[in-house]
Amino acid sequence: MANEVSTLIGRSTFVRGRINGSGDLEIAGRVEGDVSCVGEVVVDASGLVAANVSATRIVVRGAVKGDLAAEEAIVIEATARIVGDLRAPRIAIAQGALVRGHVQTGAAGAARPRAAQAQVPAARTSQASVTTRAAAPAPAPSKASTNAAAAAAAKKNGTASPPRGATLAGARPGPPPPVVPVLKKGTKALQKKRH
Amino acid sequence: MASTVIGAGITIEGEVTSDEDVVVQGTLRGKLVAKDAVTVEAGATVEADVAAGPVAVAGSVTGNISSNDRVDLQNGAKVIGNVKASRITISDGAQFKGNVDMDV
Repeated sequence: MANEVSTLIGRSTFVRGRINGSGDLEIAGRVEGDVSCVGEVVVDASGLVAANVSATRIVVRGAVKGDLAAEEAIVIEATARIVGDLRAPRIAIAQGALVRGHVQTGAAGAARPRAAQAQVPAARTSQASVTTRAAAPAPAPSKASTNAAAAAAAKKNGTASPPRGATLAGARPGPPPPVVPVLKKGTKALQKKRH
Repeated sequence: MASTVIGAGITIEGEVTSDEDVVVQGTLRGKLVAKDAVTVEAGATVEADVAAGPVAVAGSVTGNISSNDRVDLQNGAKVIGNVKASRITISDGAQFKGNVDMDV
């Protein structure tokens, strides 16, 4: 298999900079800098990538810190550790893999504009914020994230009424709005001057 | 079997540091530092300073080459830059423009 690889970043090799072009790329060393390839990018178990990766197909067995975007598929194997967003028509995450980030699959291609994505029916596009861990026996999303996802889905469909699960705690992600209206700079001084 | 290969269709812009062999078949711009052998194959383009062990060039190199062993400019090679090594061969058919420094 190794002989077929057109480009290989060896175990003790460190690349700092951009890698682009066409051809398969196997990373067993360290890469810092963006990677964009027409072909398959494989991050080996010893590979360490701190970069955004975009390719036709991405297979991850090592560590990646950065966003992954594939035109065909992303395959995340059990030994992978990923911190970053995933985007591809098809994404596979093996049990035991660590993924932290936004995951987006579906018919919406990697280069599809945002407006077009909204028109894709919800059944074809599955969208969720996923955090899995090797220790967890099964991916059990927390209540808050379920509510948030439900709220997001409701917003997407254009329904005004919140779902049953969305209580005050679930519906409000940020801090409550300030009770006192925020005054523009200089307003207070102006008021004092008047009195 | 080389440990690091930069394939024919690939371009790397930046710094490559390696403790093992590096074979360049594609394009590399920036800097190349290797502890072991560096091979620039025919058709490859290196626009970088190269510091390595034994260096064999059959492609194009623009930049200074410094080796702690030997530098071989093979037939078809095109090198613009200074070469510093203790042993140098320039084959018939190799193009070379630059200074040679064989530290004696």
